[in-house]
Amino acid sequence: MRWFFSGLTVVVVCATAGSLFAAQELPAKNPLDGNADAIRGGMGLYRARCADCHGMDARGVRAPDITQVWASGRTDAGLFKTIKEGVPGTEMPSNPRVQDAEAWQILAYLRTLAAPAPSDPPRGDAANGEKIFRANCAVCHRVKSAGGRLGPDLSRIGIARSRAAVLRRIRRGAEDFGQGYEPVTLTPSSGAPIQGVKKNEDLFSVQIMDTRERIQGYEKDKMKSVKNDTQSAMPIFGPDRLSDSDLDDLLRYLQTLRGFDPGVAP
Amino acid sequence: MGNGILLLLGLALALSARVAGLTAQQPPPPLVSAQEILDGLTADGSRWLTFGGNYSNQRHSPLTQITPANVNRLVPQWTFQTGTLGNFETTSLFRDNVLYVTGPQNVAWAIDARTGRQIWRYRRELQPNLTACCGLVNRGFGVLGDKLFMVTLDAHLLALDMKTGAIVWDVTMQDYKNGYASTIAPIVVKNKVIVGVAGGEFGIRGFIDAYDAQTGKRVWRFYTIPGPGEPGHETWADDSWKIGGAGVWVTGAYDPEQNLVFYGTGNPGPDYHSESREGDNLYSTSLVALEADTGKLRWHYQFTPHDVHDWDSTEVPVLADITIGGQLRKVVMFANRNGFYYTIDRTNGKVIAAKPFTTTTWAKEIGRDGRPIELPGHTPDEKGSVTCPDITGGTNFWPPTFDPTTRTFFVNAREACMTFYAWKPDYKAGDRFTGGAGQRGQGSEQPYGALRAIDPATGDRKWEFRYLTPSTAGLLTTASGLIFSGDAEGNLLALDSRSGKLLWRYQMGAPMHGTSPTTFMLDGRQYLLVPAGTTLTAWALPQ
Repeated sequence: MRWFFSGLTVVVVCATAGSLFAAQELPAKNPLDGNADAIRGGMGLYRARCADCHGMDARGVRAPDITQVWASGRTDAGLFKTIKEGVPGTEMPSNPRVQDAEAWQILAYLRTLAAPAPSDPPRGDAANGEKIFRANCAVCHRVKSAGGRLGPDLSRIGIARSRAAVLRRIRRGAEDFGQGYEPVTLTPSSGAPIQGVKKNEDLFSVQIMDTRERIQGYEKDKMKSVKNDTQSAMPIFGPDRLSDSDLDDLLRYLQTLRGFDPGVAP
Repeated sequence: MGNGILLLLGLALALSARVAGLTAQQPPPPLVSAQEILDGLTADGSRWLTFGGNYSNQRHSPLTQITPANVNRLVPQWTFQTGTLGNFETTSLFRDNVLYVTGPQNVAWAIDARTGRQIWRYRRELQPNLTACCGLVNRGFGVLGDKLFMVTLDAHLLALDMKTGAIVWDVTMQDYKNGYASTIAPIVVKNKVIVGVAGGEFGIRGFIDAYDAQTGKRVWRFYTIPGPGEPGHETWADDSWKIGGAGVWVTGAYDPEQNLVFYGTGNPGPDYHSESREGDNLYSTSLVALEADTGKLRWHYQFTPHDVHDWDSTEVPVLADITIGGQLRKVVMFANRNGFYYTIDRTNGKVIAAKPFTTTTWAKEIGRDGRPIELPGHTPDEKGSVTCPDITGGTNFWPPTFDPTTRTFFVNAREACMTFYAWKPDYKAGDRFTGGAGQRGQGSEQPYGALRAIDPATGDRKWEFRYLTPSTAGLLTTASGLIFSGDAEGNLLALDSRSGKLLWRYQMGAPMHGTSPTTFMLDGRQYLLVPAGTTLTAWALPQ
């Protein structure tokens, strides 16, 4: 009886612990995402605890830019864990004093810095948008391992950028260049100039992808000139090249691009 | 006399005979003496025993084997990898062909300088929830006798056995749970180990401590924020002095003649929102001259009264005796994070020369009374205000160098601006306590860096070598007319120290961040030692 009783206790304790664990299991998605109060609270928390290193706009000061964390494939649950536990071996501290709800609030706020919520209802035809993309964009942009490489991979653009931001980029061209996509023209001592986008640079050398997608490094002292271009290779698609309705379709298609699983069945 | 004692006596005799036998074969090197440290870098290149090479922190080596003519023939001899996360910020000590090196993450090594092979490794477990603001780093050992001295990220000071890396003593400087950490390289003055604490972003009350090298017992403490009844206390409103920051995380200099140590102090806290700490906030962002035996304050000079931009004055003070206006002056040279370069009389703390060495928008000049003449519109608030330099500053903790033969001060300078914001923070022990933030990307010009040669008599620039982006590398000059530096892209650079002409470069794969190259002689060859990223690489001319 005594043994039986003990065994029963163990079973009961396990069951209780199990349900407790279930109750505390981390949600995969931020339960406070889009919640206005949480976003407001998160802003205060972000400014007090994060902004000093990551910057007011989260684009990085002493610590990295964290506006692109979702676009780079991080999940809500993973980011929650990073806030709470820090990144061992780096300057990112653990934050045991941050309550769970506070961590979700910070993420809710951070999400607003990463991708402003669209103000317009969705419109356009994604299937037609994909055709337009293939005809006009895919020569430079890759989606799900297909397409060009000169411009940024757009497989996650639907969560990385707001509709308005993408629209601006298409209609008005690039006002600034992301790292790795700055246009550059190298003029060798003999031969034709080489145009491409800058992948890396130091005082003495520059590494580029040229317009034929050749990646190659060049020593600056072997060049007649190395010129940072002000004009992006990305053409401006005004209404003459892309009608408003085609633009809607294209944007609708781009908004469906939310990453992909590169795994293949064995 | 019992048998046991007889046995012990016999054992002791046998041991001493054995030791005597060994001694006859190979005399062990004598213990590191205070005199040896005082003598600093010598022409034989046999040692590097303190953070700056000499107590003066000049980082100017008398060695001349590597010259402007042959520096392009340097070849790597070996590379040591830490095997840890995080980067080197250390200055390695060198003695009797062995290097003593501290790394990130509370790890340290003795390394065979001939081969780069580890002799011993010390590792201290990292406490959870450390508050080191800007990397789990360490800036180097101090040494005396047969002991190495090292601070830890949980604000302890350790003495390690130089031969084994075993702990001899371990003293708590302050409770790390309240925001204290330590990353500074200790200096040993006579029989005292002098250190400081970090934590200016965590509401600490900063201090400089001296400990007995033999026993680890604390001999004195100088609080960088005076307590009630002490002069300077009135420069802090209400209770703000208790959590006002002013950490000390970069090694000072020592003047044996005056028996004074000189330390730069950190920012007041909260960093940006300063309503709670009305006043000048002494002795934050200052240079303090302390009596080495007692820790008593002889004089102070405050670079940035009531700082609101996180401009710690924890840059490296450099001492020299130089002729200015026909008079030999005992000076301390200081390139400050606030963008101004200063030459200060180190007998009394009076400014001799002060001039911006980078773009500074917050102050017009340094007035005759030594106070900056500030310009309006540079107090951060919720809306933000653009100020140059940025948070990282015109320079920072990476060591400058001074070449006494050409009377030139060299510093890696940054040109960058930032929008500073401030809001009221709440204090919770051990939590961040900064009250604001910065945002880069202001102004049209891209930030860049430059190695600048400065005349300490005037603060004028002699020459500059421009980098693509701001560098955080420290410097080394040699008597052969070389200056070694690095850029943020990972290039190790050798330049002519008279002209700034680039002579040689090598891509190391990681920048020197806060580290300087050092140099020493081994088997008749001059070595250049470069800590960059997680590697330590030794260079020499081909045999």
